[in-house]
Amino acid sequence: MEVRKPVIKSIPYDEFKDNETLEKLTKELQDGGANVIVGSLDQVVNWGRSNSLWSLTFATSCCGIEFMAVGCARYDFARFGFEVCRNSPRQADLIMCAGTITNKMAPVFKRLYDQMADPKYVIAVGGCAISGGPFKTSYHVVNGIDEIVPVDVYIPGCPPRPEAMLYGMMQLQRKIKVEKFFGGANHKEHKPIVVNGVETYEK
Amino acid sequence: MYYALLITVILTAVVLVVAAYVIAKLIGPRSYNKVKGEPFECGIPTHGTSWIPLHVGYYLFAILFLMFDVETVFLYPWAVVIKDFGAMALVSIGIFLLVLVFGLAYAWRKGALEWK
Amino acid sequence: MKLENKIFELKNFASEMAKLKSEKHFDFLVTIVGEDFGEEGLGCIYILENTKTNERISIKAVDSNRENAYIPTVSNLWKGAEILEREVYDLFGIKFLGNKDMRRLYLRSDFNGYPFRKDYDLSPENNKYTLEDDVEPDYTIEYTMDEEGHIQQIEHKLFTDDDYVINIGPQHPATHGVLRLQTILDGEVIRKIYPHCGYIHRGIEKMCEDYTYPQTLALTDRMDYLSAMMNRHALCSVIEDAMGVELSDRIHYIRTIMDELQRIDSHLLFYSCCAQDLGALTAFIFGMRDREEVLNVMEETTGGRLIQNYYRIGGCQADIDTNFVKDVKKFCEYLKPKFKEYNDIFTGNVILHNRFQGVGILSKENAISYGCTGGTGRAAGWNNDVRKNHPYDMYDKVDFQEITYNNGDCFDRYMVRMKEMEQSIHIIEQLIDNIPEGDFYIKQKPIIRVPEGQWYTSVEGSRGEIGVYLDSKGDKTPYRLKFRPMGLPLVSAMDEILRGEKIADLISVGATLDYVIPDIDR
Repeated sequence: MEVRKPVIKSIPYDEFKDNETLEKLTKELQDGGANVIVGSLDQVVNWGRSNSLWSLTFATSCCGIEFMAVGCARYDFARFGFEVCRNSPRQADLIMCAGTITNKMAPVFKRLYDQMADPKYVIAVGGCAISGGPFKTSYHVVNGIDEIVPVDVYIPGCPPRPEAMLYGMMQLQRKIKVEKFFGGANHKEHKPIVVNGVETYEK
Repeated sequence: MYYALLITVILTAVVLVVAAYVIAKLIGPRSYNKVKGEPFECGIPTHGTSWIPLHVGYYLFAILFLMFDVETVFLYPWAVVIKDFGAMALVSIGIFLLVLVFGLAYAWRKGALEWK
Repeated sequence: MKLENKIFELKNFASEMAKLKSEKHFDFLVTIVGEDFGEEGLGCIYILENTKTNERISIKAVDSNRENAYIPTVSNLWKGAEILEREVYDLFGIKFLGNKDMRRLYLRSDFNGYPFRKDYDLSPENNKYTLEDDVEPDYTIEYTMDEEGHIQQIEHKLFTDDDYVINIGPQHPATHGVLRLQTILDGEVIRKIYPHCGYIHRGIEKMCEDYTYPQTLALTDRMDYLSAMMNRHALCSVIEDAMGVELSDRIHYIRTIMDELQRIDSHLLFYSCCAQDLGALTAFIFGMRDREEVLNVMEETTGGRLIQNYYRIGGCQADIDTNFVKDVKKFCEYLKPKFKEYNDIFTGNVILHNRFQGVGILSKENAISYGCTGGTGRAAGWNNDVRKNHPYDMYDKVDFQEITYNNGDCFDRYMVRMKEMEQSIHIIEQLIDNIPEGDFYIKQKPIIRVPEGQWYTSVEGSRGEIGVYLDSKGDKTPYRLKFRPMGLPLVSAMDEILRGEKIADLISVGATLDYVIPDIDR
């Protein structure tokens, strides 16, 4: 069965920028081939997951205000399915890290990520979360949250415009639509990644 | 009487719950780490033990709620059988509710509904 | 203003400061600036104000012993000094004798060294982070000096064994950022609150010591992002003051109008978040909808919605857009009927009255003692508006009222900000038609050097007085740059406001105090 491209309603496939990464990811996942029934069930599950991602209210600094603005009436991410922001990580699917993570906040952030239930996704919003941003030379700033947690989508900007954040959310939806669910995909062991002598995450 | 219906209802409830649990266990994603089992306190590990003497106001609140909740539970079967019993049912439920209203008025006067 | 520092010797420092407070009536401690004076030692500069005459003086106290620097505390005179001295201890290592709570404020309790000292190693190898949780000791230390001059340490316990301690933690929808309030509860009643700051401490002041003056402007918008224009205004003002730059009238008009637009933006977000914290989500959406209109107006000229980068040393980055005047007038007409709408859906609500009236009272003496400027102080009856007391730009030439109430409870703090929005519109309407022609930027030299000396300038931000202290040695980078945080006195006052109140009142008080955490932590 040929690989289906992920579809976002009313936005053509070629308008998205990073299609090569997505196609590479799809090819890796579909390596053994997928039969029709399991593939269709996968699509149903992925459709459900990608269209109802509820994010954790996590905003440390300026990008948090743009995150609030995306949620409000003008840009409204609720029409994409991100209906409410859950306050507890156990009820959230997605953590949109909006703002700088400092050295003091790093263990807190890691703990929040660990307490989320699977399947969980991370979006790094803004320059500070991607690489430290304007504060890269500071003594108290973590240079990018991908040292601590595995990141799915990066949204650059300082702060990113709300339209950019919506685009990033749509990219995450497309990434979820090519995932595999049935056929033991969930039970593969993943090796942990070691940073600073500490196992940071298992996915 | 309607035992067949009752058993069906109970069985459906049990089967649904067990099936949901078993299916999730078989095909759901699995990951466990130590921190997932800990209580959530906004990202900080908890301080101190939770087995401390609690304020008695919580107990008062819970007891009052329980009383009125049980009263509601009693009202449901009464509503089902009132047609068969006629006016006597109305009088008896009136007396029941009156006793409970006296209890509420007593609690109100004594200040059990304020937090101290 | 240029600071003429009076130097007090350490041995009679405490009595001299007490004399300043009681006899000369300097009852408002504006800020304490810790500084590494090089060979002179480590010391602090205290800026005090007399609330009746609005006169400001500055005091300098230095200890030449860099390993063990001790300065007597002033926290018994001004309550806000306790947390300001903790900040100086955290960043410089100066211990204050008699301060009952000498712990670190921003950094982890296992942090080695004092980062703002000039001999601190800033390399990445020295500043690695760890993912282990911070084990905090449950006692704090007070340092005192006995008659022979030896230092004694007294331990105070923070928690007893049967205290029920919860964290209203960094990740919480109602703390407006990453503030951790460690609360000791007795049932529903709060016994004590220990605030822990520093979860967004990015070391902006230390980074500015390596940047040239135009580069330091880049980080100001990211401190209190809802007073972005005012932050930059304060920094540009202090540098222009120090260099003696004369600005044209057009620049003054534009800066005043932009400041007031930013103030409306911030107060609309205050209204929205206040409603959201109490659960009235409809009002949240209404306030944010109207905030988008302000952002449209500002974005046309500056290009940014949140981070505007508009002022620079000597003027503005670009002239105002050709549609600016028309759009601002249209915006003012749009917003005026909305105030009635806000009052209809939120202010008159009986639940709001029950949750806000009589809750979280901050008296005027406490407000002055803690240094709670801005809307919080004005709700307690203190006339602290910098626009009236130390006027700058066009504020002494326009007619506007300073809104004060006298109960100091949550409802008054809320009403102060609602009425201030109307005053802001009034100021804008007086200025918008009369913007004079002229330069929008007075050309400066390519490399900006500030003459030697110390200056302090303050500006009325959305939530208080934002001041900038600049110590220059004549170089092209500042020797010490400090921003007076608007929110730090508010957070330190929370403990006293909330003793004996219920935990639901903590949310009300937190919502109306209106602090922004990156401004506290810098």
